[in-house]
Amino acid sequence: MKRATVWLAATVLAVVAQAASASPDEARLWLERMTGALATRNYDGLFIHTTATQSETMRIVHRVDRDGNLERLVSLDGSGREIIRTREEVHAYLPDRRVVLVEPRTDEGSLLNALPTPGERLEAFYELAVKKGRKLLGRDVQIVDIRPRDNYRYGYRLWLDEETAMPLRSVVGDGEGRPIEQILFTRLEIKDTIPDKEIEPSVDATGFQWIRTGRRLAKQPAPSADWGPLRVPPGFRLVASRLQLMPGSPVPALHLIFSDGMAAISIFIEPGSATGPAPPESSSIGSANAYSTSIQGHVVTAVGEVPAATVRDVANSVVPLRGPASPPPPGP
Amino acid sequence: MTDQIREQVSALLDGELPQGEIGLLVRRMERDPELRRAFGSYSLIGELLRAPGGHTARPSFASRVSEAIAAPEQQPAAGVAKVPERAFWKRPGFATAIAASAALAAIVLVRPDAQHRNAIVASQTAAEALGALPLAGATSPTPAQSQRLASYLVAHSQFSSALGRHNVWSGLLADDPGLTRVSFDMSDAP
Repeated sequence: MKRATVWLAATVLAVVAQAASASPDEARLWLERMTGALATRNYDGLFIHTTATQSETMRIVHRVDRDGNLERLVSLDGSGREIIRTREEVHAYLPDRRVVLVEPRTDEGSLLNALPTPGERLEAFYELAVKKGRKLLGRDVQIVDIRPRDNYRYGYRLWLDEETAMPLRSVVGDGEGRPIEQILFTRLEIKDTIPDKEIEPSVDATGFQWIRTGRRLAKQPAPSADWGPLRVPPGFRLVASRLQLMPGSPVPALHLIFSDGMAAISIFIEPGSATGPAPPESSSIGSANAYSTSIQGHVVTAVGEVPAATVRDVANSVVPLRGPASPPPPGP
Repeated sequence: MTDQIREQVSALLDGELPQGEIGLLVRRMERDPELRRAFGSYSLIGELLRAPGGHTARPSFASRVSEAIAAPEQQPAAGVAKVPERAFWKRPGFATAIAASAALAAIVLVRPDAQHRNAIVASQTAAEALGALPLAGATSPTPAQSQRLASYLVAHSQFSSALGRHNVWSGLLADDPGLTRVSFDMSDAP
C-alpha cells in the first residue's frame, strides 16, 4: 500500500498545479460540445456505474446513421438487464423479472427541442467552471464543474476528453456536495461504424411478458388533462406534455416534463385506484428520485434527476387547474 | 481473493503492473464484485491524501468508513437553502472518501484493437466512493410497484439529457437495492 499512497500523493500536487479555472462561457461551450458529441458520435464503451450501495460494470453502444441514433446499454454484472433504443421504441429487458418494458420513442420533431440543453439561462441556476484536468484514460481532459446555486437540483463534475468532448467520467453530487452517482469509463472507443449485431439484444426474451407502456393516445382525452403543479423550482419550465398509458391502468396519464436546461422532472397524473388512495411512496435509483402520492382521487408521481425533496414538493403541489394544463408560475 | 491478486491490485494502483497483466486483471475486476470492492478500498486511501491536511491513512480509517456508511445522511430541506462551501467540486475526493461505501473503480486498460485510430484507452487511477441515501421506513416493493417505477423512469428518460439518460438507465439496469427502497410515510399524506 505504501507504493500506492506515495504515488498518489505525488499526483495530487500535479493536479493542483494544473487546476486553473476558466470562464463560465468556456464551460458552457464545453457542455455544448459534449451534448453534440453524445448525440452525433458512434461509440462503444465500458464503464463502471457506482451509487451509494454498489458498483456495476456496463457497456454502452451508440450508433448514428441516416435514420437516427440507436443506443444499447447492458449490465455486465448480476441482473443482465439491458436497454435498447431502436428507431421506434425503447425496450427495457429485465431478465431477472422476465419482463420487457416497451415505450414508444418520442424524440421526433418538436420533442427534440424539449431535451435539456445548456443555454445562457443555465448560469442563473448553476455556477459553471472549467479547468484543465489530469489525464484520464490516457487522454487530456477538461474538468467542467456545474455547481447548483440552490438545493433544488444536483451538481455535476464532468471530465471531458479534450479532442472529442466525450465525458470520460461524470459525478453527480447532491446539494451538500456529496457524490451520489458516478459513471467512469474504463474503455471508450469512437468508431466510424457500429455493426448491427452490436446494438441487438443479447437477452433471450422467449416467454417474457412484454408490457407496452406509453402507447400513443393523443386523441384520447384524459381525466387529468387539466391538472398541473402550483410550484416548480426556479428555472424549471414546462417543455412538453403528452398523454400515455402506464402499466395497470386503462386510462391515459398526463405526463408533464419540466427542465432547467440541465435536469428534467417528469410529473405523471393519473386516476387513482378503485381501492382508495395509497400512502405516499418515495424511491431512489442512483441520482434519480421518484415520489408518488394521492391527491383528490388521482395518483401523482414526480420523477427526476433532482433531490428527493424536490420531486416530493413538486408532486405535493399538483392540483386541478382551470382549463387546459398550462405552465405553472415561477417557483419560490 | 489471494495475496497474489491483492499484490496485483496494489501494483495497478501504483502504475507498476506489467502491461501484459493489466487486461487480465481488469477483466477479472469486471467479473468479480469482491475484487472491485477491494480495489475501491485501496483507492480510498489515495483519495484521503487529496484532502487538505491529509497525509496518511490512520489505522481507524476502515472503521470510520464503515461508520460513515452506516450513518444516515440528511435529506435536503424542503425550502430554499444555499449550498454550503464544502462541496465536492471544491475539494475533490475528500467528501467522497469519507462518505465511502463499497466503491470502486479505477482501472487500467490496454488498447484492445490498435486498428481503431480513435480508440480511447489507457490508464486511470482515481477512485470514487459515494455517500448513502437511506430512506426511513423502507420496505420491499411488490413486483407491480417495481415495474411501475421502471416504467416511469423509462418514460422520463426520453426527456432527459443524454448524460441524464445514461444515469437513469444505469440505475435502472443495476441490480439496485434502490428499487427496494420504497418508503411509506403517512405523515406526508395530504
